[in-house]
Parts: sequence; structure tokens; C-alpha cells
Amino acid sequence: MKSNKKYWKGLEELKSSPEFVEKNKNEFAEQIPLEDVLSEGGLNTVAPRRDFLKALGFGLGAVSLAACQTAPIHKSIPYLVKPEDVTPGVANYYVSSYNGQSILVKTREGRPIKIEPNEKSLFGNTGTDAATQAAILDLYDVSKLKGPKLDGADTSWDKIDSFVKGELNKLQASGKKIRIVSSSISSPSAKSVIAEFITQYPNTVHVQVDAVSYSGILQANANSFGKAVIPSYRFDRADVIVSISADFLGTWISGEEFTKQYVGNRNSASLKKGKMSRHIQFETGMSLTGTNADSRIPVKPSEEGPAIIALYNEVTGGQLPGAQALASNTAANTAIKLAAKELLQARGRALVVSGSNDVSIQTVVNAINSALGSYGTTIDLDNQINNYAGNDAAFSSFVKEMNNGEVGAVFFMGSNPAYDYSDPKLFTDALAKVPLRVSFSDREDETASLCTVLAPTSCFLESWGDESAVEGYFTIVQPTINPVFNTRQAEQSLLAWSENPQKNYYQYVKSYWEKNILPGAGKSWKDLLQAGFVYTGAKPAGSYAFAGDLTGVAQTIVSQSKALAKDIEVHLYQNGAMKDGRYANNAFLQELPDAVSKVTWDNYAAVAPKFAEEQGWSEFDLVEIKGENGYTIVLPLLLQPGQARGTVSIAVGYGRTKAGQIGKVGENAYPLAKVANGSVQFHTTAAISKTGGKYELAQTQTHHSYEGRNIVRETTFADYKKDPHAGTTAHGAAHHNYDLWPEHKKIGHNWVMAIDLNACTGCGSCIVACNVENNIPVVGRDEVRNRRDMHWIRIDRYYSFNDGGKSVTKEDEISELENMDNISVVHQPMLCQHCDHAPCETVCPVIATMHSSDGLNHMAYNRCVGTRYCANNCPYKVRRFNWFNYWNDSRFDNYLNNEFTQLLLNPDVTTRSRGVMEKCSMCIQRIQGGRLAAKLEKRALVDGEIQMACQQACSANAIIFGDMNDPESAVSKALRNERTYYVLEEINTMPGIGYQTKVRNIVEA
Amino acid sequence: MRSISLIFRSVVKPFIFISALSLGVQGFAQEVPALQAEEAATADAAPAEAAAAPSKGDPAAGAAIYKQKCTSCHAIDRAVVGPALKGMSERHDEQWLIKWIRNSQALVASGDPAAVKVFEEYNKVVMTPFPELTDDDIVNIIAYVQTEGDKPAAPAGGAAAGAEGAVSGDSGEVSNFMLGGLILVVLITLLVILVLNRVIKTLDRVILQKKGIAVEEDGVVSTKETAYEKIRRLSKNKKLVFFTILLVVILLGSWGWKAMWNTGVHQGYQPEQPIKYSHQLHAGTLKIDCQYCHTGAYKSKNATIPSLNVCMNCHNYVQATDKYNGEISPEIMKIYKALDYNPDTKEYGPNQKPIQWVRIHNLPDFAYFNHSQHVSVAGIECQQCHGPIQTMEEVYQYSPLTMKWCINCHREHDVNTEGNGYYDKVVEVHDLLKQGKKVTPAVLGGLECGKCHY
Repeated sequence: MKSNKKYWKGLEELKSSPEFVEKNKNEFAEQIPLEDVLSEGGLNTVAPRRDFLKALGFGLGAVSLAACQTAPIHKSIPYLVKPEDVTPGVANYYVSSYNGQSILVKTREGRPIKIEPNEKSLFGNTGTDAATQAAILDLYDVSKLKGPKLDGADTSWDKIDSFVKGELNKLQASGKKIRIVSSSISSPSAKSVIAEFITQYPNTVHVQVDAVSYSGILQANANSFGKAVIPSYRFDRADVIVSISADFLGTWISGEEFTKQYVGNRNSASLKKGKMSRHIQFETGMSLTGTNADSRIPVKPSEEGPAIIALYNEVTGGQLPGAQALASNTAANTAIKLAAKELLQARGRALVVSGSNDVSIQTVVNAINSALGSYGTTIDLDNQINNYAGNDAAFSSFVKEMNNGEVGAVFFMGSNPAYDYSDPKLFTDALAKVPLRVSFSDREDETASLCTVLAPTSCFLESWGDESAVEGYFTIVQPTINPVFNTRQAEQSLLAWSENPQKNYYQYVKSYWEKNILPGAGKSWKDLLQAGFVYTGAKPAGSYAFAGDLTGVAQTIVSQSKALAKDIEVHLYQNGAMKDGRYANNAFLQELPDAVSKVTWDNYAAVAPKFAEEQGWSEFDLVEIKGENGYTIVLPLLLQPGQARGTVSIAVGYGRTKAGQIGKVGENAYPLAKVANGSVQFHTTAAISKTGGKYELAQTQTHHSYEGRNIVRETTFADYKKDPHAGTTAHGAAHHNYDLWPEHKKIGHNWVMAIDLNACTGCGSCIVACNVENNIPVVGRDEVRNRRDMHWIRIDRYYSFNDGGKSVTKEDEISELENMDNISVVHQPMLCQHCDHAPCETVCPVIATMHSSDGLNHMAYNRCVGTRYCANNCPYKVRRFNWFNYWNDSRFDNYLNNEFTQLLLNPDVTTRSRGVMEKCSMCIQRIQGGRLAAKLEKRALVDGEIQMACQQACSANAIIFGDMNDPESAVSKALRNERTYYVLEEINTMPGIGYQTKVRNIVEA
Repeated sequence: MRSISLIFRSVVKPFIFISALSLGVQGFAQEVPALQAEEAATADAAPAEAAAAPSKGDPAAGAAIYKQKCTSCHAIDRAVVGPALKGMSERHDEQWLIKWIRNSQALVASGDPAAVKVFEEYNKVVMTPFPELTDDDIVNIIAYVQTEGDKPAAPAGGAAAGAEGAVSGDSGEVSNFMLGGLILVVLITLLVILVLNRVIKTLDRVILQKKGIAVEEDGVVSTKETAYEKIRRLSKNKKLVFFTILLVVILLGSWGWKAMWNTGVHQGYQPEQPIKYSHQLHAGTLKIDCQYCHTGAYKSKNATIPSLNVCMNCHNYVQATDKYNGEISPEIMKIYKALDYNPDTKEYGPNQKPIQWVRIHNLPDFAYFNHSQHVSVAGIECQQCHGPIQTMEEVYQYSPLTMKWCINCHREHDVNTEGNGYYDKVVEVHDLLKQGKKVTPAVLGGLECGKCHY
């Protein structure tokens, strides 16, 4: 069965606007102005012959001069006393931890250059998120503070210490309040340091606050079960998942862990067992999770509460008021009924999650889960997640205390309320009333610039520490380099200021572990530094039953829903790259295309295409968005298929004014949020008006056109069960292939890759991992607009219509469609396919790209003369041209143009210069390195020993790399899967990368 | 007859020119084969292992430990920091040696007369104790020292290097000889032609004179002609002008060709180094193993220049005072200065400054080269690329380090597959070897761009 469903990457492609067709005719967006050059000067000059001779003479002279050069003097400076475990040229790996995930830090000659997952760790079989991959760049960020500052002037740590200690003692004597305001801290040692600080200065209170808060869940669990915790959700145990605006594969609580669990029920292994989970998503804006859902139903923010009440009523047969508000949305109404049926059928294997930060909504969700028997099975309240403990109410009362002038000193530790608090004016005015304001921020950010004492903390790669993301699971943070700048980690500063007998934080962490954690696990400190984590085991998950009256709760939901039901409802969200805005100065993340909209370097106001039409808006129109509190921002519009009509989605995390040289991107949407029902809520309303201007977003979605060729394959779970080949057209088998070229002999190895479209969620961490590993330049917003992004791997996102189960196949049917709300999405990672019959190889006039005997398509940069024929001839559009010397050109001051960030470069990979083509090399440096390691140890290569950077970063295990010549290798097995197909195999390029058909678990209504 | 001589002359003149030209060109060409003298030096891996060692130990196992632990202070046949080891098993019994090697100070302290004697004799330099060595290890070392000591003195530079040198020398001589012969033949031919020419001329004249015809001397210059007029006259000779210009163009062309090909090739590059470190002394005379200092060559892409703590392993004691009238050698003083080390108090100070060596072998950044691949996996001797390093007072770049040079080697040499499990699994290699075919890196894809350029 061949699917002839129509797939499209963007609205411009769908509508085939004349500009789009024109732009896509050519491989490169802009033509070289060759005619201008020729008609102006060049050949039309009076005496081109003389010019030619002049040039010839100069050329000859230059070559002769070059020939006369003596060898350049390169200094080679060895260690004075070489550390025993460092060998120049050999990478060292150290375990550490970031955001609670155990990681390995690769260092070369003492400088960290790459973060990799710690495969041996408890949860980390593979994968990290994009932010973790990119975090290494923050180490070398030149926008950070270079040392401590006192009242705006550089100073020394000694002076800071004596000043702060003096002030604290005075405050202690006067009885004024001292507050430590931090983002959530999961580190047991850091908590202990703060506790000892509080013992020294008893007026101190530790306030935790998160930019994106989960205090709704914490409070709801406290109300429902008496435990103010975020439970461990077990998506791996859930057969039916209903998510109401929770982006659990991306930004909600712990996207990486959830991705691993979620994909475990949907990947090849699970399908082989005839098992696939069902995922129904109700949401406003199109989120990463929404794109992966089997069924996705757009709902407005005001409909979320009623939807949850309706779901409760359907599941329990209860009669809570408020469900009728959903009646106007018939699609959602029917979907809720169906979802309830499915949930009830999967009792004990069902899970309902909500992304709301509202206590009432989360309380009803608790009631639903309790009715479904989820506690003890898919939700574990006893082994809680420690990453988020921020308390919105505590922070609000802290702001009040400051306003009343009761606070004498405040310490900001990893929190930045001047930027991310919903009422920044209230906060800054209140802060001005505090005499001693200390910031531990690594840069002079929005809050730090209001502080008198700047005591910059070190990067996690320069620090000791620990984390405990989940109850019973402890990871160690160990430094991999001396501090790059004159910084000192915050815990060390607190130790110094609280006159702690232990002045050294390393000793402090060590003795804390040796006293509290290691004995229970039966491990030594040395074991810990090797393994990176200790797991004391999960407590048995108890089952909890919800008891309580929901009537009052439902009333609150109804009234809040009514308040939201305005003409234009606003939905604030985090996107996968920027998250809460903490990484704003990270160029890798700024250039990582959004998983859904493929926009880089900006935030925007996403609206539904039909809604925009009704309002008379068009794409990239600048609009003024006026929040309920009068806060106004101007953003470009983006037409987002799948967006609920009457709503606008805006990403937070942008509009940083003081993050650093590249962080000034987009507009800050946090002040649009409102505090309601005791917590910060991202659902609100706004008035929107056109300003008249236009602003083109740098969007990569339609940069590489396939001219309508069908390159994704899709089927339904029902069809798959009938025939595993369903939807996977084995085109190649039907034909006899004629080869113009002799077959490549694969002596030794045959490197291939398998990508499971059903596992890939489209998160994009592979892109960042590839950037870091392969020294891929960041080109900036303007160059992305010019279609000159350099990413070797990209994730193509294809939309298709779901119209009541019918698939839309022809263009003319599209225009007849009522709306674009009901669409589904397929993500496809696209990279060099390493074709055996590579079209690029045959057109290169200088043989700079050629095939190897182990199945790779090599690219010799120093041979390339930049004709770009290969890119024109590549049907997969994966070749990238260096238009500039991005690493040494002040116009691209993104990250590589200084001596610090250049330390990040992988010394095993050449930095490409201007005028050279590049593309995925299949991490050839890793292949060669892995082979050499085996040769040195005189043993055979082990399958799985060599991993690609993208593969390593993939939490979903969607990418498998290996040797096809080994029939037992994981990749050989994966490619023998019935779902395997090769992209554009009909043109006989014989790609080395096989894809596995996407399967969707659609239930016929 | 006259016409004959004219014809002959018109043929001979250009011939002389062409010969002269070809000589000139050959002169250039002569240097090229020298570059290609890298002949396959199939270094005999096992240079005639001494038949059944008399000691019960395993000399091969001992050799590894010896190179790792002993060479910094000992040599087989000459005293370095410690005594020459040759004949030590005759001087002392095995049990004594085991005790001494494991912890010499304990033996001295116990009052063992032999131990005290050795200790006194070598200026009371404390030998590093090796408690980690087992009895078997030490017996192996003794066996190795014995086999080495029994060997006749090897030519400087070790067997393999010697063999390599000989091979390349041979190939150089052969080609030089042939070239010389060729030039000689051309010269002789030229001479014969010139003589014949003269003879014909004379005969011509004699015949004409006999016939009584007065001949105006052809080509004889009047004595009054000035140099200027001579040039003017010659410049009217079109053939001469043509050939002169041709000669100039060819000379310039061949010079330019050669110069352009050698752009960026720094063969023979010999920069001045901050310390006058002599490889001839350390590697040649003292026979310190390359691995002792360049530890990276066996496990890393970089061979690594040793850090100063490696130097200090020996130069704590070795100060070459005998050569500098009791003063410490100024070159060794440079090490002390860099480490801020006081040789009197034997203490290190805080003002340490690294030594800035000048890189000799500069491979371009876009070429990936890994020492361990070539040294540990392929088992290539250092000298193959770095030349007779053990004879170099100052190191220079021996090989051209051009891509052609790399590729030639990859084409000609066998891959060292023996005993390497990696290649066992590469089935095709196995088959080729079974068929008795040569497996070069080129066969395994070692000439593909991406194997070195990424």
C-alpha cells in the first residue's frame, strides 16, 4: 500500500505561492551577482588583456615569494610537570552532573569540549537534552563576569568577604530579615550549606522560586494527599496517556526522562511485541508533545478547565458543574468522551497529566488519576522528583516583606526575578528598599545589575557539587577545569560568609557524602567519582486514594475559565531550546530551530491561519500585544497550523536585556503572566492590534524543498498489526536496478544508520550535539533568513491533514478544507544519506567528494573549490556551503570570534574556511578513533562501541549506527525491520541510512 | 665535400645545444630521486633472536620492563647514572640482584658488603626501589640484560634503523651511479663530436688548399673585432638567439616548477631550539629508548615533547660537570631555570616557566596524523619517518611530509595484521592474506580522502 497522503512543511509550500516557487527553484536563495561583476568591470574594461597580464605577473610573483618562505615558527610548549593522567592528544572523560542528569565531560588537554550522557548511570542509557549539549558553551561565555564586583567596581574576594560578613553581622544584630532567593535546589550539600548559613544567621529564610513554576502541582498534591511533592510519572507503564497542555516530551518537568519512558512503548521493540501506547493531547499551541500525539485536539486556555471537569465527570460519572462550557467545542467534547472511555478501559495503565500551574485544575487531575488507579502504578508519590520546589506564594510574600522594608539582605542564587517575575516593576521597586543585595549570578543579568555585591559563581564544569533529581538518586558534580574567570562557586561564598569551620566546598561535599549518602549505598568516594552516581533504591510506591470535595474547586475553575474567555486568549509556553530563558546567551540554542515552527533567533505570536484571516492579519505582521496589566510588547505574527483559534501562543525565555552579547533576542513575555489562585499562571488574555510593520522571522522550515516527493512514510497501528510492511513501500525491490557504476566493495566495514521515525520526537538535541562535535558554525539570524544555516543534521517537520480519518491527497482538496486545526505531524531527521550512488560525487569537478570503501561519502575540504554543483545535485538537500569564515569574521560575532570560545573546538575536526562545501561526515573522527582504539588493543571492534554524536544525544534511541557487514549488529537488525524504507530509493541513490515508518495509534471512531 | 661539412655542422650545432640543455635539466632532475629514496624498509621484526637464552628468564618480557623502568639510569655496556649492566649476573648472584633491584637501600642498610661497595662507588646515588616487580619480572630483566650483553656491539642506531639507512643508501647510490654514467656518456659523445668536427674542418681546408682555391676563413674572427661587435654579430645569428632564449625559458621554467612544487615543503628544516638537546647523545650514544621521553607516540596522536619532570629523572644527578670544569652544563642549567630548581638545595621554586620548543614537523591542520596508529599498530620504527635521529646533533625534518610521501608508503607497505584481533574480524583481509596477496593500507581504503582529512 502506497501512501499518497499530502505532506507539507509550511503554509507557503502548501499554497505554493509564486515567491515560494521562485525561491525554491534554486538550491541557493541568492544568486552570485556574476552578471553585475562582468558587465561593470571585468571583461568590459578597456584593456582586459593588460589586466590579465598584470594579474598573471602578480600571481607569478606571489607564488615565487611564497616559495621563498622559510618554515613558519610554531612553538610547542610541553608541560613542566605533566599530570600523570593527561596525555596530549588523548581525551579524558570525567563524570559530572547537569540538571540532575549524570553526564560525562570530554576534555582534551585540560579543556572541556563535549558533554555526553553517562550511559552507565541509572536513567541515562542514552541521551541528553539540547540545553545540556549546549551548556559547554556557557563555560567559555565571554559575557560572564570576570571577577567579583562591589558597588559596580572590580574588587577582590577578600574585600567582598569582609564587606559581606560585616554587613551580615550588623543585620543580625539589628534583627532585620535575611533572604536567600534561589531557583529550586536539588543538591543535598548545597541545601546543607544553606541550612548551616541559617544557623549562623537565624534571621535567614531560604525562598525557592522558579521562572516556570510547578507550585500548582505541589500545592494540589499537598491538598489531596498531604505530600507537597512532584511525583515520578511513569509514562513507560501507561498504555493510554491523556495530556492536557502538558509538554511532557519537551519542557514539562523532566522531558528527557519522560521521552525515554514514552518511546519505550512506541519503538520497534514495543511494536514487535504488538504493543503501542495511545496518546491523546488537548492543547492550545502546537507543542513538541502535541506533534507526537496520536490524536491532538486544539482547545483554548479557557476550555482547559471545563475539559478537565468534563473528563472527570466522564471517568467517574460525577456531576461537577462547569463541563458545559466545553459544549461549543464539539471536537473537544467528543474527544473527551472517547478519551474517558479509553482511559477507563486501561484502568491502572492510564495516566492523565496537565501542564497547568493552577491548584484547582491539578486537584481535579489528581481526582481523575485516583479514579483511574494511577497512583502506585503510573504515578509514584513516594519517589518524588526534586527538580522543582519553587513556591509562588512564598515568593509573593517575600516581595511584600521587601516592600515593607523588613528585609535587610537578599542573596540571589540562580534566580532572576527582575526578568522572569510576572510583575517586574513591583519587584524592582521593592528590591531597591533592601540595603544589602548580593547576586551569585555568573553574569550581570537583569537582577544582578540591581545588586550591590556581585559574587559570580563558577560554571558547573568548574565546580564541585551534587544533585538529586529523583528521590534516592544522587549524582556528583565534579570540576573538569580550573575557573576560566576569577569566579567562586556560590556555596563556597556562603561557607566563607557564614564562618563555617569547613571553608573548602570540595571537602564539604566529600564529608557530607561520606557521612550521609555513601555509607547507605556501600560505596566509597572513589567509586562515586568513577560511577558518577549513587542510587539507594526506590521506595515501594504506595497507592493513594483521592478523597475530598471538588465542588469548591470546580467553582474556582469555572470562574477562572470565565475570566479567560475573551476575544483573544494568551497561552505562554517554553520552547525546547530557550526553556525559561536561562540559556538565552547560548548561540547554539538560539540557532536551534523550534521543534514545531522551525523559527530561530526570535519569539513570536503564533496564531491559527484561519483566525488570522478572520482578523485580517498576515504572516510576519508586527502586532502589539497588550496584557491585562497593561504590559505591552510588539512581536511578529506566525501562522501556526494546529493552533486553537482565538488564541495566541508566545514563548517565554526571550527578551533578555542583560544576558550577554547575543541574548538580546525577541521580547519578554513573562510580564504577561498573572498571579491567580495563589500561583503564577501562563494563561491570560490580551488585546492585539496591528502596528503596520513587518518582520521576517528566520525560519528554516521550507529551506530545502523536496518538490512534493513523498519522503515520509506513515501508517496506523491497526494496519501495522495486519501487515508490518503497511505504509512502507518497498520500491526498490519491485525494480531491477541498473548500475552505471561498478559496485563499491565494502572491505571491512560498511557503516550505515537506521532512524526510527516512530521513536524520534523531533526535540533537536541531536542538532546541538552535532554542532558541538563537528565545529559547526553559528551563522546568525540574517544568514538563516538567507537560507545559509550550516546544520549538518536537521529535523524536517511535515504537516498532513487529518480530516475525519480521510487522508487528503490532492492539492485541490486542500482549499476545500474548512480549517487547518486538525493536522498531524511527522518529524524526520535528515542528514547526509551517504549514498552508494551519490549524485554529489559524480558532479564534483575536482573529486573533492568521493566514496570510501566503508560506505561513507567523504568530503575533502582542502580539495573543494566551491563550485556548489554537489549541493545542487543532492536530492536530500544536506550539503552546506561556507559563505564566510564564520569563525573569524566580526560580522558573525555569535560565538567563535574570541579566544575563549575557540577553546571549545574539537581538535580532531578541521574548521572549514570560506568557499568550502561541508556536510555530515558520519562523525568520521569517531569512526577512525574507535577503529584505532580496537587496533591498539588488538581486538575486534565491538558493535555499539562507536557512536555518532547525534545518536548519543538522542534520548529516544531513534538513531542507531553500526556496521552492516556484521549481520548481528544492532543496526543490521534494525534495518531488517519490516518498516524499513530508504528515502527516495526510487531514484536509485542507494542511501546508507534507512528509516522506519511512522506508526500512529489512531482509533477509528 | 664542403657541403658535407656544412651539413654535418648544421646538425652538430643544435645537437650540442640540446645536449647542454638536457644536461642542465638532468641537473635538476637529479635531486628528485633523492626525495623518493624512501624505499620499503621491511624492518626485520625479529633480528635473529639469540638462540635459547642461557638464563631461565624470558628476555622478551624482560625487555619491556627494562625499557620502561631501567633505561633512565642504566645502559647495558656503559655506566650512565648507575653502573653498566653488562655482566651483572656474573658479578652478583640472582638472589642478591632481586633484593637489590627491589629495594637497594634495604640491602645497603643491612650492611651487605657488596651492596655498600656499589653504593659508595656510585656517589651514594639512591636507586629507585621497585617493590612492584615480582621475582619473575626481575629474573626476566636479568635474562634480557644477559642476552643483550652477550651480543656483539651493535652499530649505532639499533638494528632496524641501521637496516633502513642501508636500504635507502643503496637505492640512492644506484640511481646516482646511473645518472653519473649517463652524464659521462653524454660528455664523451660531445667530446667526440667536437673532435670530429675539428678533424673534418681541417681536412676540408687541406683538400681545398690542395685544390689551390683560396679560402676565406669561415668563422674565423678578425682580431680587431670588439666585444660589442662580437655580440652584435652573434645576435644576428637567429639560431643562436633562438636556442639561447629557449635555454633561458627552460631553465627558468624548471626552476619555477621545482620551486612551486616545493612551496610549503620544509624538508631539512632545522630551527634553533631553546636547549641544545642532542639526540645523538641521548638516543645514539646512551641508547635511551624513544618511548622513554616521547611517551605519547605509543598511545596518542601526538608523540609529545617530554615534560621537564621526565628530564629531571636523570638530570637530577646527571649534570655533565666533568665537561664544564666542575660547573653544571649550561644546557642542563636551562632545565633547572625553567623549573626554578636549585641544584644545591634540590628544591623547586615557584617561578616556573615552560620551555618553548620550536616545532620542526608542521603537518597542516587539515591532515590528521596519529602516531599510535603508525607506531603501535603498524610497528613502524621512528627512524622511518624521522630519519637517523640517533645521529642528529640537532634535529631536522628528514621527510618531506608531503601527501605524495604519505601515499607512497601506504601503497607499498604491508599492513601489520599479525596477531591483531581487529584484522581477524575483517573477513576480506583474511581472505586476501590466505591467497597470499599483499594487504597494504591502500587495499583497506587507506588512500581515501576522508581517512586523513576530516
